[in-house]
Amino acid sequence: MDVIVCIKQVVAGDRVKIDPGTYSLVRSAEFSYINPFDLFALEVAVQLKKEHSGSIIAVTMGPKISEEALWEALALGSDRAVLLSDPRFSASDTLATSYVLGMGIRKIGKFDLILCGMRTTDGDTGQVGPQLAEELDLPHISAVEKLDGEKGSFRVERVSDGFREIIEVSTPALLTISSKTAVRLPSLIDIQDTFTRYSIECWNLEDLNADPNKVGRAGSGTWVEGLTPTAQKKSCVFVEGDVRKQTRILLSKLLEKNLLP
Amino acid sequence: MDLTLSIRQKQLRRMARQFAKAELTPIAKEIDEEGRFPWETVEKMGPLNLFGIQAPRQYGGAETDSISYCLVIEEISRVCASMGLMLAVHNGVVVHPISRFGNDKQKAKFLSPLVAGEKIGAFCLTEPNAGSDAMAIESTALREGDSYIVNANKIFVTNGGVADILILFTSVDPGNVKKGFSAILVERGTPGFEVGLLENNCGMRANPVSSIILNDCRLSKTNLLGREGEGFKVAMAALDNGRIGIAAQAVGIAQGALDVSLKYAKERIQFRVPLAQHQAIQLMLADMGTMVEAARLLTLNAAHVKDQGGDLSGPSAMAKLFAGRTASKVASMGVQIHGGYGYSKDYSIERYFRDARATEIYEGTNEIQQIVIARELLKRGED
Repeated sequence: MDVIVCIKQVVAGDRVKIDPGTYSLVRSAEFSYINPFDLFALEVAVQLKKEHSGSIIAVTMGPKISEEALWEALALGSDRAVLLSDPRFSASDTLATSYVLGMGIRKIGKFDLILCGMRTTDGDTGQVGPQLAEELDLPHISAVEKLDGEKGSFRVERVSDGFREIIEVSTPALLTISSKTAVRLPSLIDIQDTFTRYSIECWNLEDLNADPNKVGRAGSGTWVEGLTPTAQKKSCVFVEGDVRKQTRILLSKLLEKNLLP
Repeated sequence: MDLTLSIRQKQLRRMARQFAKAELTPIAKEIDEEGRFPWETVEKMGPLNLFGIQAPRQYGGAETDSISYCLVIEEISRVCASMGLMLAVHNGVVVHPISRFGNDKQKAKFLSPLVAGEKIGAFCLTEPNAGSDAMAIESTALREGDSYIVNANKIFVTNGGVADILILFTSVDPGNVKKGFSAILVERGTPGFEVGLLENNCGMRANPVSSIILNDCRLSKTNLLGREGEGFKVAMAALDNGRIGIAAQAVGIAQGALDVSLKYAKERIQFRVPLAQHQAIQLMLADMGTMVEAARLLTLNAAHVKDQGGDLSGPSAMAKLFAGRTASKVASMGVQIHGGYGYSKDYSIERYFRDARATEIYEGTNEIQQIVIARELLKRGED
């Protein structure tokens, strides 16, 4: 079973800085980590490898510093890591990103499954997985919580709108993962070994034989016109009086705001 | 001079940071209050190789460089100094000297379980009448056939209450302690071995610091670490190395104290603005941040010297002296920023304040570090 896992390096929520000119994220490796949903996807891949053997290839598109996310993926059990990096890829929206990832995966060639996180904690669009499936003309199922099966066919469970759907899908296919599996930490030896055993493959536009008009801003169907932070206002009201009075006031306030069932 | 960490070093640090955040943050306050050694958490450290950070691969260690070692100890101590201390002592003054001075049989027997985290190590030098003055020890090891009959009363033994394998300093020649000064490996459970009372310390309360008593304890001569009379060499090599770990621990405590002070300064409103907007508080934060960074650089420099195979004594003593003082000073300033709440057990800054103080005392007091540093300075020739 050969599994490709698409990962994204995201910036910790409280460290997000936006470039005022391009409205794109200013990245710093120090406060970046692998998108949590992608870690769940990677963990699913590691379990599949345990059960069916095979290989895991981690793929990401991003600037050079995204390499760190790939090293982490290697320490966590990937066998190969590919960085799709080219200054011309910057300012790609989800469509252009899916195209670049698709070209990278075409170059990799053989696979049974592509796993993506259901969404990222920064962009939060949830689009890249489904768009990548379209790009590669693959069947896809989103928000997968459980999967079972082997090469050729998978039984997949997803939860949506209060229903648990069970779906059969033939491989090759793309699944976006929403299950919150406990993520392991790599041991110090895992990390040490990663750096002696592996290297990161880095492919640019030419390596991918990609169309420059389909990447970056030129290849994007959308672009950000403006970006303003929304302030979350918190206010604190002190309820006074004896316990009985406090309870009465609290209850009436909660009812007033429709916060009680 | 390149001061950038490699990606590998950053990944090792990240793992330690994630472990500390996930496993130690939720319990640090509680285990300090209860004075409890958190076995359930400690058991998770072995599989992550935290008990053999620099130990040789052949014995199951991760064999990292010394800079990575410091980064790991710093991250653990940043959240829980008691656990940072447990690991710094285990790795720095137990696993390291056994790796360096032990023979193959000793390494196979003692190193493997220590590195796996199945057994915990301790270092027993201090006695009621000997601490900074190591040569004043009264412990004796009398030869009897293939054995030594060892008597000892060791105090302030870090990890003492939970240690399984201990390096104990004694003298095989009671008439001439200096000549007979030797290191010997002791296993918990040996007849005559006894763990004394736990110390009721002001800080590092989750570390079971205890006395260790040996009453006519028969130990095989094969337990001797190094040769007879080589104990001082073993002790000094262990301490030169251990001090880097304690310096890293102190940097971690200082960073942790800075972390909680920054958070508090942004949250606490006085005169209608957060504390952080008052210049008096900013000046303190600026000094704290600068001291932490200086202590870290001095510590990583000592680690770098070790990795380059240079003479460690001066750099590690400087790092330990400065980092220990920094931890105390920064934690104290942190208490000041917290005001009355800093004096309360409800905020973790008071724990950092108590924990920090020990780093100026153990593994060589500030004054001993100053003696070492002065000696190194005075013996240097002119440039």
